[in-house]
Amino acid sequence: MKRLCACLVGVATLVAMPMAIPGEPAAPKRQEEEPARRRDISGFWELNFDGRNVPRANLLPTVTRAKIDARAKADAYAIRWCNLLGLPFVMDPGRPLDIRQGSSAVIIVGENASAPRYLYTNRTKHISDEIFDPSTNGDSIAHWEADTLIVDTVGFHGEHGITAIPGGGFRTDKSRLVERYRLLKDGALLSVTFTWTDPTVYRTPHTYEFRYHRLPSTYEPRQWLPCDPWDEDRGKFLEPPAVAKPAGRPISKGVTP
Amino acid sequence: MRCRVMALAGLLLPLAVPQLLAAQPTPATAARLEGDWVRIDPDGAGSFGGLGASIPPAQLLPGATAAAGRGGGGRGGGRGGRGGPPVAESTSPNPEGVPYIVVAQPCAGGLGGRSNGALLVNPDSGGVHFIEHKDEVIFAGERGGVRHFYLDGRQHPTPWTPTPAGHSIAKYEGNALVVETVGFTAGAVPGGGVRTPETRLVERYEVSADGKRLTITYTWDDPKLYQKPHVYRYYFDRSPMLESAGTRVSYALEEWCDAGDPIEKQSIVPPKQTIK
Repeated sequence: MKRLCACLVGVATLVAMPMAIPGEPAAPKRQEEEPARRRDISGFWELNFDGRNVPRANLLPTVTRAKIDARAKADAYAIRWCNLLGLPFVMDPGRPLDIRQGSSAVIIVGENASAPRYLYTNRTKHISDEIFDPSTNGDSIAHWEADTLIVDTVGFHGEHGITAIPGGGFRTDKSRLVERYRLLKDGALLSVTFTWTDPTVYRTPHTYEFRYHRLPSTYEPRQWLPCDPWDEDRGKFLEPPAVAKPAGRPISKGVTP
Repeated sequence: MRCRVMALAGLLLPLAVPQLLAAQPTPATAARLEGDWVRIDPDGAGSFGGLGASIPPAQLLPGATAAAGRGGGGRGGGRGGRGGPPVAESTSPNPEGVPYIVVAQPCAGGLGGRSNGALLVNPDSGGVHFIEHKDEVIFAGERGGVRHFYLDGRQHPTPWTPTPAGHSIAKYEGNALVVETVGFTAGAVPGGGVRTPETRLVERYEVSADGKRLTITYTWDDPKLYQKPHVYRYYFDRSPMLESAGTRVSYALEEWCDAGDPIEKQSIVPPKQTIK
């Protein structure tokens, strides 16, 4: 009798539990969880060698070889002196990214000594340029459209950090970046489409896509790799090669010098 | 009769569950840690060194400093940040236009701000930011560094190569985020303490009921180093809100420090002196 009694209590509890929580019947809850899961891009993400689809950018004629070379030199300087590296480099830093979605922002953290990105979901307007100091990551605001996180970034510093943009061109203080983050393959992949516009660099908007693989949730990110600008050996290693362009070197057919 | 009472209790239990859950504070219902904070000086010490001096002195065991392999913890525990050793002070004033050089190696790595989140074990006046996710809280500083507080049930990894910020796992206890960290590199701790890879740091992050004040209580414990746990507190306020296009906002800044720029080594440049 006692056993039957206990059994009845258990069955009654199990039956009553889902009905007792107002407004959360079992079946609809499961349906609601699905979009919520698709709207959380948190996790550890790795960009593999085959994760980049980057077409060549359509540059303005004013973007000359001399300008591109000067930018490349400035990028090398940023690496040499352990500067903050900024966008777009921080999205392809050679190590996994830790992305965490909070209630006010999404943070993107690399394993290199560069500032994390904050994608603010708690405001719809950019910080006024009267008070915003241009930065290597700019000011990012984000919102969801269906299962896609749309991120709009302006307020870039025109010279700080690595400014080279995949496919050609470079970041300036006139640049605008729109990113679209979307989970694919049941959350195993994260697709990020980047679209750069800049009236001083691009003839047409420059769009490319990265696809990141989700790492196991138990992944242990390497803590920030030390970058010591005063390490003499490192400094020598990163000095530009002193070897001058060899004179009279034959140029192969079809190869642009 | 007894069975009927139990059955009734079974039916009523689910009705009570939401109320019981509501009574247990969770990060979702409690004042949130997430957001932007700045460390404050509640006692009016007036300087970073003064803040360090207000920390109760650590009660070390004999030989603890040698065991930690360091010359002992400074009272303030080191500042880090823009880092680098100071240069020897000159005894005479610099001539007009000749800048005072006060840092030999600015923006240095080492134990400073730009490496491993070490600065966030002893935050200075730079803004700090928290993002709370169910599996991890990220603690990031404007002067560099990121700490990862794992809430996903993982344990401290073994083996673990010691790092300046160690390895942290966390849980919520009511309103408090409780973070346990081990695996530090040997070194100094504020208040004259020391640490080794075996030393355990427990931090309690507690936000006041009005959501405006954050208190971090640090407890360093190591039976090989301390006579009793070394406990002290730091206090933070929400970052000041700024007026931007008709709304009040707060956001993370980037602190720029370019080691290759000679100006980073400088303090003031003496102006032309006018004698009346």
